Amino acid sequence: MSLKSNALGILILAGCASLYGCAGQHSEAALQQAGADFQKVKEDSNVLRIAPKDVIRAGESLARADRLSTYWGSGADVVHYAYLSQRYSEIAREHTNQALNEERAAKLELERQRLQLALRESKLLSVQQQGKWLEEQIVALATTQTDRGLVMTLGDVLFDTGQAELKNSANRVVLKIVQFLQLNPKRVVRIEGYTDSTGGRQENLKLSRDRAQSVADVLVDLGIDEKRIQVEGYGDQFPVDANASERGRAQNRRVEIVFSDEKGQLGAAR
Amino acid sequence: MRLTEQAIAQAKAVGATADEVPEMQLAETKYNRAKGSMADESYRNARMRAEQAELDARLAEAKVLTKKSEEQLNVLNTRIVRLRKQLQLGEAQ
Repeated sequence: MSLKSNALGILILAGCASLYGCAGQHSEAALQQAGADFQKVKEDSNVLRIAPKDVIRAGESLARADRLSTYWGSGADVVHYAYLSQRYSEIAREHTNQALNEERAAKLELERQRLQLALRESKLLSVQQQGKWLEEQIVALATTQTDRGLVMTLGDVLFDTGQAELKNSANRVVLKIVQFLQLNPKRVVRIEGYTDSTGGRQENLKLSRDRAQSVADVLVDLGIDEKRIQVEGYGDQFPVDANASERGRAQNRRVEIVFSDEKGQLGAAR
Repeated sequence: MRLTEQAIAQAKAVGATADEVPEMQLAETKYNRAKGSMADESYRNARMRAEQAELDARLAEAKVLTKKSEEQLNVLNTRIVRLRKQLQLGEAQ
């Protein structure tokens, strides 16, 4: 549209601000637009399948606007019914998109469940394959009753340096946690990430949070409801050992899983 | 008027707000003007405004529901990507 005709359009609109009068160009344009919109939804087989009632109403309003446009002084009515028709067309489109999304979601949900099962099986398998030597590797694994509740520590060996992804050697522990949470459906957990004091404060906060999140992600992937999981990153705060030695730093790099009591009561976050 | 009121209430119930959904803003403005027209005994204006407001609200509601269904799809897609990635990691080992 040229600038000139645009300005003209605005003038016409301004002239038609009142609901009365003003048949002619404005109502003609509204009618055409509504007709075009109706045509589009009418030709869409998905819309016809999912939202036939809305399409019918769009058609009825359009027919009414069309009929009125042959009378003098009916501009406001034409514009009104054209507007209603357009709205019905839009509503038909939205209802269709919503239903199509839901159909897709149902398929994806099946796919997700299938993958979740496959993942569980593969984790079980790899636990069996890896055998007992794994246990010795997870030296830092321990479950202790502290004043914060039941706490399980996932040690440094389960992550590569600077990386947030949980290594496969964590499978056994992760499955244990999943099993535990499935046997205790009311319990919830808070997953807390910690680093040593090497590196910047911000990076440490981020890394600790990312590691905690990746543990949470695996639990969710294995079927634990994400509503039962809180995630926190504390960076280099709350060290369990002095950061002066390599051994101390390794102790401080950890993810702790704090379990609630049987009723789902979780101690306050730090 | 009653239908309009119901449509607006229903749209609000699914979380449509005038700030986020422009159609909701339209619906509320027109509904208020319809009430004004009723008070002035301008019934034809009142009817038109109420009818438009009703459909504005229904569209607002439909848009919010479509958006929710999109978000749901996104969540599922993210989870599936993550699961696939984990399965591949497992196989690579």
